[in-house]
Amino acid sequence: MNPKTMDLKTFKGGLHPPDGKEFSADKAIEICPLPEELIIPLAQHIGAPAVACVEVGAKVKKGSLIANARGFVSAPIHASTSGEVIAIEPRPHPMGKALPAIVIRPDGADSWDESLKSANPGDLTAEELKACIQAAGIVGMGGATFPTHVKLSPPADKQIDTLILNGVECEPYLTADHRMMLENTEQILDGIDILRKVLGIERAVIGIEANKPDAIETLRKEAALRNIEVQALEVKYPQGAEKQLIDAITGRQVPSGTLPMEVGVVVQNVGTAAAISAAVRLGRPLVERVVTITGPGIKDPKNLLVRIGTPLQFLVDQCGGLNGEPAKIIMGGPMMGQTQLSLEPPAIRGTSGLLIFRKEDLPRYEAGPCIRCGRCIGACPIHLQPTTIAAYARLDLFDEAAEYHALDCIECGCCTYICPATLPLVQSIRYAKAAIMAKKRTL
Amino acid sequence: MLASILTLGGIGLFAAIALGIAAKKFAVEVDPRELAILEVLPGANCGACGLPGCGGYAKAIVAGSMAPNLCPPGGAETIEKIAHIMGVEALSSAPKVAVVCCQGDNIKASLKYQYLGLEDCNAAQKIADGPKNCPGGCIGLGSCVRACPFGAIEITAEGLAVISRVNCTGCEKCIATCPRSVIKMTPLSATTHVLCNSNDKGALVRKYCQVGCIACQICKKVAPESYTIENFLARVVYDSAENAEVAIEKCPTKCIRDFASGYPEGSSFAAVGPGTKPEQAA
Amino acid sequence: MVELFVILVSAVFVNNFVLARFLGICPFLGVSKKVETALGMGMAVIFVMTVASVVTWFIQYLILIPFGIEYLQTIAFILVIASLVQLVEMVIQKTSPVLYQSLGIFLPLITTNCAVLGVAVLNIQKDYSFLQSVVFSLGAGLGFTLAMVLFAGLRERTDLSPVPKSFQGTAIALVTAGLLSLAFMGFAGLVKG
Repeated sequence: MNPKTMDLKTFKGGLHPPDGKEFSADKAIEICPLPEELIIPLAQHIGAPAVACVEVGAKVKKGSLIANARGFVSAPIHASTSGEVIAIEPRPHPMGKALPAIVIRPDGADSWDESLKSANPGDLTAEELKACIQAAGIVGMGGATFPTHVKLSPPADKQIDTLILNGVECEPYLTADHRMMLENTEQILDGIDILRKVLGIERAVIGIEANKPDAIETLRKEAALRNIEVQALEVKYPQGAEKQLIDAITGRQVPSGTLPMEVGVVVQNVGTAAAISAAVRLGRPLVERVVTITGPGIKDPKNLLVRIGTPLQFLVDQCGGLNGEPAKIIMGGPMMGQTQLSLEPPAIRGTSGLLIFRKEDLPRYEAGPCIRCGRCIGACPIHLQPTTIAAYARLDLFDEAAEYHALDCIECGCCTYICPATLPLVQSIRYAKAAIMAKKRTL
Repeated sequence: MLASILTLGGIGLFAAIALGIAAKKFAVEVDPRELAILEVLPGANCGACGLPGCGGYAKAIVAGSMAPNLCPPGGAETIEKIAHIMGVEALSSAPKVAVVCCQGDNIKASLKYQYLGLEDCNAAQKIADGPKNCPGGCIGLGSCVRACPFGAIEITAEGLAVISRVNCTGCEKCIATCPRSVIKMTPLSATTHVLCNSNDKGALVRKYCQVGCIACQICKKVAPESYTIENFLARVVYDSAENAEVAIEKCPTKCIRDFASGYPEGSSFAAVGPGTKPEQAA
Repeated sequence: MVELFVILVSAVFVNNFVLARFLGICPFLGVSKKVETALGMGMAVIFVMTVASVVTWFIQYLILIPFGIEYLQTIAFILVIASLVQLVEMVIQKTSPVLYQSLGIFLPLITTNCAVLGVAVLNIQKDYSFLQSVVFSLGAGLGFTLAMVLFAGLRERTDLSPVPKSFQGTAIALVTAGLLSLAFMGFAGLVKG
């Protein structure tokens, strides 16, 4: 199928950076071997960090519960392989500081916990399925890591009618979801069926960018049998941002300061759907994920199935090592990912990619004055005035920044990318947002 | 001639009488003490007292809701005058100045990563707790410079904030904005300070800073009255620091400094000479 | 009627007091940092101008001319306007604290403002009737407010821009005012006279 002849939907704004997906798009998912030790941080999701429930010296199996969720907006954590807990201490975390983590030394057997029970989703009620998802520690696999069971529990007054599956993968370089859709099609579709049952709705749409024609074709063939729509979308960043995706597919705009359920939509990543299927059918909790290890600084870019807690250095070693001196290491995509200080931190549930750039790949220009070209305004997917908000932020005029809806910024980075004066716009806005939130808390 | 004098005089007289009557009739009660206090306040509207401006503070003093010694820029003189107006004894607070307790500029202290973003310490602090390996050191992006209403702070070429002891009024605005609390209030009379703000252990401090306090206890041995060491960081005990300066020579990392002999190198204040106010030196 | 309209438009745009006659530059530069305060100041000026032109019209035609002392016009007008504004301020302060907060604080600033005196003197020079002079002063006040608000809006924008050090503060404000004045010259052919 020719993507040009497809009916492509999209939103207003955004841009298309060079996507760099050619490095790893054709590389089939490989299983990453066991490292010498796995560092499993307790904070891997949005919400309260989990609380460790094992002691140093405990023997664990793959999939054993090692940390309990704290509160509703939280998720439990499971051992990603069998072995011995050798430490529970602060270790380097992708957030840039040392945070508490459970360190496991693998015994090499990698055997699953026998107590994990498989089930047939047809035999379970919606509530049981949701409990199953919650117990498996499933979080949003797109990178935001929001606990999935919370998203699946809309308040009674919100009528949900559409489930959107996010297979957009609009971040440049990343190909993990692309490979998942090609190789784990069956699992994803099964996960969608479970999600539809939990939400009690019929309509499900998979949104995929048109630069993945093979994935669109594969899914269309299978999905038609299950009454699932597949929608091709224009290749544009941030097409995969929740509210932009809803706008593109349903034409509904999520009002400022509210959640997608306000317009009757729940959005889940395709990776999350696959994880849900594994959790219900096989009883397997979320202990591994697909990570794209790529960038010009890597010798042999790959898509790896990685156990949560595998140190980044180990992943780099699996991909032929570094190709020159690294200057920038990013976990996640290049637009919204988290810059890393070293390769010591482990891969966590939100690690969709690991990008390594060398100095020569990063042209750097001095930030100049704003020339009022308005390109940031055109690129902003939520129609803000990034340059005005950033200017207010620089002058510490946070009330004015709030008037210009700084809090609605999704920090996608389009404005910073497009700015010909190379101003750090999104950082300024993020700074203003933090200050506005701090002010709100004190009031 | 006569007509013009009479006419203009008449108009003037009429206006004067009208204004006089109006002043009586439409008088709004303003406490005269409030005006008198406003007169003696510095009028910088800096907000150091916690209120938006000098007017608000004057009102609060008269209302009795705030003490008269909360205006650091005004100093002892202002406090005395206000106390005189209010008819209470002066609760003098010793004049204070802010000191940046760090000497680890971009050359002496090592960096965790190269920061290329917004020129603001608070913004940099949000990225992996700041670009310096030291968790307490001055980031040197000048948030305090912008916060200072008196232009008393500057950033040296090597990236370290330095506060002029002459221009600092002790309003504490810089302290409120500094994300690392590296600026401390000290009595103006004390010129010897420990210029370090790292609570890490000595061995770790040595790794990332040439001039950090390594908590070696030598200063405390030399002048036991003048120093305390808490959380691996020496501090001058300003109440009893009579001979704090004897430890300056002994400090192995040279993180104790005496401002009477000048500012840290690299600042333009250093060229001016010793950091003491003229009246205090006398 | 048409004549009154012409006077009004002329006073607001063509012969704008600030940008074409260059009167009242002091509050124009002083109170134009924020649109809100500029608007408050403009309102105060409209009020004072109208009241002052009414009073001075009567002073001119009922006192100065009958006594043959027109040469004392300036000093008499200043005297009357100043005391009048003082009086109004006192009344407002007592009767309406809310109005005083938004308007009253600007009143002392414009008691002896040249724009206010200018309106009074121009009314006489142009031989306006009573109604004409009221309309003219109203237009002058509106024009002043327009200039103030436009200028304050521009200054709020320049505050956000990285102005070269040598131009910071009043310098860039004066450049902006000059450009705004140039822009208002575009109205020059709109009304003759």
